[in-house]
Amino acid sequence: MNFPRRQFLRDLGLSAATLPFLSGLPSLTGAPTPQRRQRLIIMFSPNGTLPQDFWPDQEGENFELKPILKPLEPFKKRTLILNGIYNRVRGDGDNHMRGMSCLLTGTELLPGNIRGGGGNPAGWAGGISIDQEIKNFLQSQPNTKTRFGSLEFGVAVPNRADPWTRMSYAGANQPVAPIDDPHQMLSKLYGRMKDKDSLVSILDDVQADLKRVTSKLSARDKSLLDQHMALVRDLENDLKEADKQSSLPHRIPDIDPSLELVNDNTPEISRIQIDLLVNALANDMARVGTLQYMRSVGMAQMRWLGVEEGHHSLSHDPDTNQDSYAKLLKINQWFAGEFAYLAKRLSETPELTGDDSMLDNTLIVWTNELGKGNSHTLDNIPCVMIGGEKTFGYKMGRSIRLEQQPHNRLLLSYAQSFGHSGLKTFGEPTLCTEGPLILT
Amino acid sequence: MPTRLLIALFLTLAAASGADTSHPGSTIYKSQCASCHGNLGEGVPGKFDEPLTGDRSLEALTKKIERTMPEEDPGSCVGEDAKQVAAYIYNAFYSPAAQARLNPITIDLTRLTISQYRTSVADLIGHFRNGSDKDWGKERGLQFFYRSPEILKPEERAKLKSNADPRKKTVKVDGRIDTLDLHLGPDSPVKDKLDPDEFELRFEGSLITPETGTYEFIVRSENGFRLSVNDREKPLIDAWVSSGETVREERASLYLIGGRAYYLAIDHFKFREKSASLQLLWKPPHGVEEIIPKRHLSPERMPKVMIVSTPFPADDRSLGYERGSSISKEWDQAATQAAITVAEHVDANLDELTRTKPDAPDRPAKLQTFAETFTEMAFRRPLDDAQKQFIASQFKTAPNPELAVKRVVLFTLKSPHFLYPGLLDSDKPDDYTVASRLALALWDSIPDKRLLQAARENRLHEKADVLRAAQRLVTDPRSRAKVDGFFHHWLELDHAEDASKDPKAFPGFDQSSLADLRTSLRLFIEDTVWSETSDYRQLLQADYLYLNSRLAKIYGKDVQTPDFQRVAFDPKQRAGVVTHPYLLASFAYTRTTSPIHRGVFLTRNIVGLSLKSPPMAVAFEESHFKPGLTMREKVTELTRDGNCMSCHSLINPLGFSLENFDAIGRWRTKDQNKPVNATSDFPINEDKKIRLTGPRDIVNHVVQAPDGHRAFIRQLFHHTVKQPTAAYGQNTLNDLQKTFAQTEFHIQKLLTEIATLTALHQIPSPAKPSPKK
Repeated sequence: MNFPRRQFLRDLGLSAATLPFLSGLPSLTGAPTPQRRQRLIIMFSPNGTLPQDFWPDQEGENFELKPILKPLEPFKKRTLILNGIYNRVRGDGDNHMRGMSCLLTGTELLPGNIRGGGGNPAGWAGGISIDQEIKNFLQSQPNTKTRFGSLEFGVAVPNRADPWTRMSYAGANQPVAPIDDPHQMLSKLYGRMKDKDSLVSILDDVQADLKRVTSKLSARDKSLLDQHMALVRDLENDLKEADKQSSLPHRIPDIDPSLELVNDNTPEISRIQIDLLVNALANDMARVGTLQYMRSVGMAQMRWLGVEEGHHSLSHDPDTNQDSYAKLLKINQWFAGEFAYLAKRLSETPELTGDDSMLDNTLIVWTNELGKGNSHTLDNIPCVMIGGEKTFGYKMGRSIRLEQQPHNRLLLSYAQSFGHSGLKTFGEPTLCTEGPLILT
Repeated sequence: MPTRLLIALFLTLAAASGADTSHPGSTIYKSQCASCHGNLGEGVPGKFDEPLTGDRSLEALTKKIERTMPEEDPGSCVGEDAKQVAAYIYNAFYSPAAQARLNPITIDLTRLTISQYRTSVADLIGHFRNGSDKDWGKERGLQFFYRSPEILKPEERAKLKSNADPRKKTVKVDGRIDTLDLHLGPDSPVKDKLDPDEFELRFEGSLITPETGTYEFIVRSENGFRLSVNDREKPLIDAWVSSGETVREERASLYLIGGRAYYLAIDHFKFREKSASLQLLWKPPHGVEEIIPKRHLSPERMPKVMIVSTPFPADDRSLGYERGSSISKEWDQAATQAAITVAEHVDANLDELTRTKPDAPDRPAKLQTFAETFTEMAFRRPLDDAQKQFIASQFKTAPNPELAVKRVVLFTLKSPHFLYPGLLDSDKPDDYTVASRLALALWDSIPDKRLLQAARENRLHEKADVLRAAQRLVTDPRSRAKVDGFFHHWLELDHAEDASKDPKAFPGFDQSSLADLRTSLRLFIEDTVWSETSDYRQLLQADYLYLNSRLAKIYGKDVQTPDFQRVAFDPKQRAGVVTHPYLLASFAYTRTTSPIHRGVFLTRNIVGLSLKSPPMAVAFEESHFKPGLTMREKVTELTRDGNCMSCHSLINPLGFSLENFDAIGRWRTKDQNKPVNATSDFPINEDKKIRLTGPRDIVNHVVQAPDGHRAFIRQLFHHTVKQPTAAYGQNTLNDLQKTFAQTEFHIQKLLTEIATLTALHQIPSPAKPSPKK
């Protein structure tokens, strides 16, 4: 039933005028739900990988992690490495563009005016991305609905909007911008609560001030300020009441307010963003998350790794350039380390329901827009997953080699794991004829 | 002894109430009048329930009594009796002076109105931004910056691969543009200079807003574009990535304060699309969608303005003007929400506003100084020790200085010292009080640096100094915004905002015609008020209208350009605001005129006579009349009753004199195929009538009649000061009227006089030196 919001408020005896303020008071978590909270986080890093040092040599359960994936060692038994995922989407735009904007949408780019390093100019992706598709599905049902549904995190994403910089789409032509400023994300998540705390802290002083000035006034003027005083008292009581009603299972994280968003602070920002993401999911504000590092063709200078050159330039160098190769190895290892940290934070955080950890119910996926930087191939795009055993049913602790499977099938598989069984194909239907990848 | 004291007390009381029971008229009043009018003229429910007060002279009152009273037997109270009873009534309660004695009018403590709140916050934050006090100049239009790669010869072009572009050289062209309505097709914006296939255009400057409200922006193009308004960092519309060859339309809305200029930039780029175009439109409040006209664009780049867009419940208008005389839970919640918005804005722009960097060693000190200055500006005076200590304690107790700033901002905006500017008066009024009152009266805002400086130096308590300060304030755009609000109020423009006309009766007259008329009226008023002579009489007597080509067609004139220009009319046919079609159309029905609406408006606001509310509600229904009657005949029939005529004897002649103007304000000579009769006699007082044959006769009377001047002054005073004139002394209005007449009805001078007079109210002269910091 479609229940008109105004009608609902009227029934509660609230006028529309109180609405903006009430909605500012936190009912952040909603009602607790007894079901397992199934979650998906997709992490992106750009410019391809180094296949030799990424893909395990062995298939099956007995495999060894190559140097890039070494940081995942503690989670090896809960890791699934998928080789053979191909981005088969063609059409306008260069490989970086399509690698990025088709990565989660599986659709061709629309015609547009963005010139790439090859191919025709192109525009935004022509369809919704899988994270948003799953979010919409979860938000459509009361027992999986959360305040935000999905959260789009970024780390060091340049402030520009183009097909290299967006992987999430709410629909055709509707890119979703990741938030790469931890302050902005914090205020999106908890801003109103923090404001409320600040407000509570000054209301006593406002009352004292009112009392002081009122004593000097004529009876007639005094009555106005007496009314004012009563309203301030009401506000204080309302805020206290709201406090009682909403206690968060996980406290609001603190962020150094003077943290600057500059390249050299990326390692710190990355950890803060991961902590915020885990915290927000722990407080059940969303069930789907994306974590986007830089952008396709990103030129981050990872000086904290001793790398002065921009990432994308390095990725173009031939494999024989040992210096560049060593640097790219470091860069990709660093991303793996961040991915491992995400897994670690989830594994350390217990679920409120049951005795499992968040990682048991959360599938985290690390992917990339290219298979290899210097060839710009869209074949064998990196795909590593950890966790989610209890809710996704994927068999973990394996390294699998698939036969050139369109990545649309993988995206469809995520959706169906959430019970979104009405979805029969995803993105370009012709790339999905064989249904979802079976990973059980 | 006690008895004598009691008697003395009684006498004093009697004198104070003015009800001199020994007056011979008192006996007559008690026996013949009190049963309907009440013992002190307060009225009797069911008989005559309106208070017996008014602005007639004693003579006029006497005549009225002789003619009409008592109702059941008019003519039985005449001669000496009438004189006596009139004299008694007049002095006991009827006259304004008696009313002032019985119900002394005082200055009420009021909070900031919504408009004052928004303007104060905008200027409070603006105080900390570079260039906020800069002027956007007289030049109109936008700057443009075009660039493209150099143009290739065909053979060079043939060599180009589809993707790689070896061209390094960039060609640039700068200039000015009036409006954004570009249709380039396949061509280059600058032929033979810029590459038609690939170019970037940037348009920059500011947007000047006519009024406060929600502005919708609409951009149309098949290419990439990005629009920024009032925020350089975050585009309002980002459509940089195009989508095929079709023209896309993107819309976004923004709440803006009127009478200010806001940074505006639009970027556009074409890359090998077949064609290029760019249109920038807006839909201003009460306006229609149109290409943003040149007069609302300035090439100056203005700094960001902090806009509180939180919706507030409407201010009290029960006295006919908006004032902050009441508060409610909704208001308090809105004020709280607004304070949070401001605190967040400060937090998000802290480095800019405090001129510091995250790692600067003096950051905490700078933040604390900022907090102190912020509160000082908001409270409109130096902080006392307790206030300084409070701020210091916030910086000691908050986990970090950034949070302390946030708390101080919240506290300040919730504080009565900010919300009730009049609170200053209950302490010792001083030069800061004067500064605060001036800024509030003329700008709806807080004092700026120069005003505070003058207060600090004790230069704001002598009339000459204050007048000079007021003169400076009046030239600021904020005064224009405030005066704009007055005209909205005086001319009852909210009426006009709901107007619509029957398209069958007036084909071609639609919402955009009404929007054009609104602009036409605004241009006329601005032109008149802000000219050298600033002459009130010109507002009434001007024989021209501002018309663009669309309006000219409707009003039978010839204008070729879409820009508005002055068009002269036969002086008989146009007389200032009285015959401005926007007002004529707003005081009319959808198909027919309404002499009653027009007449009531003219009686009260232009001629300046008071009207009581109608004794009974009578609906005007076309079906009640015989077909073929003229509007004048219908109204005459409808208001024939003696009860009606006590007011309609004023209303009707005024309304009838505008019968030569149809429901959209066009000149007409026939109504229902009969010649229009616009002639009648208008009683300017009990003794004298003047013949009105049309609008010219009305305005010629009004410009030399103090009643009309007073109506104008009273409303300007109310709008400016938000207090009744009598609160500043019984003679305030009359004194202002005299000054107005002496200064050749100079509106700007009147405004400075009102501001100066009220700012200096009860300021000891010479003022005691204000407390040193």
